[in-house]
Amino acid sequence: MLENSLFGILALFLLGGSLGMIFFTQTLFSAISFMFAMLALAGMFALLENSFLFLAQIMVSVGAVVVLSMLVIVSVNLKASNLPHESAKGRWIIFSALLVTPLAMLIYKALAHTHTLFEKTDEGYGSLKMMGATLFSDWVLPFEIVSVLLLAAMVGAIMIGRKEKRHDT
Amino acid sequence: MTPDNFFLLATLLFSIGLIGVVSRRNLFVVYMSIELMLSAINLVLATFSRLHGDMHGSVMVLLIIAVIAAEAALFLAMVVHLYRLKRTVDSDDFNTLAQTKEEI
Repeated sequence: MLENSLFGILALFLLGGSLGMIFFTQTLFSAISFMFAMLALAGMFALLENSFLFLAQIMVSVGAVVVLSMLVIVSVNLKASNLPHESAKGRWIIFSALLVTPLAMLIYKALAHTHTLFEKTDEGYGSLKMMGATLFSDWVLPFEIVSVLLLAAMVGAIMIGRKEKRHDT
Repeated sequence: MTPDNFFLLATLLFSIGLIGVVSRRNLFVVYMSIELMLSAINLVLATFSRLHGDMHGSVMVLLIIAVIAAEAALFLAMVVHLYRLKRTVDSDDFNTLAQTKEEI
């Protein structure tokens, strides 16, 4: 019973946050509601008894990614006159919602009814120990590739983000 | 709290992200919508991992979180760079590749 009400509250935050993200005109308000959505998603991972993903979601997605984007939004410091002029925003959103609806129904049909109930999990599911054992036995190569990807992204971000220098003489 | 609830929620999240990408022109909102779509995929993977009781899906979610972090760094650097070039974050203004030679 407690789980059901928790699920309802978290789903409310998740959907409200993501809807607020696409409806707000001010970019910082969008980022704040996106942060609420990401926090609620971390709660969803906790409801799925996956404590490590809960931690990773809070630390990486909320703590690093959302805060980084908020910092960038604040430092870019857009004035209201500099924002994109989206006068027909509501109409665009309704129109694209109509377009997306069949795809959403298709995805839901493909996903739903595979299982009807959550069964009880084995001992140790979602723990750090099981996660590490799986990550470093079956998933070593993808893990290493991701580490190279992160390094490349870091170098690329520095290269793209630095100020262009004039080549004098 | 059945698996179908989680799947419905993930579907709605993915759709909202797709709507955001299609209908908004603010680059920051487009970026956050892409992240929302990736997070919806995370939710589906975590739900399947919980259903089958093995950790492979959760490891995939962890790797996708790392990819999200890499994407965030690159996308934000790109947005700052584009903002320095044209003093705007309107995605309609960055259409140089769509123009013909005469228009430039």
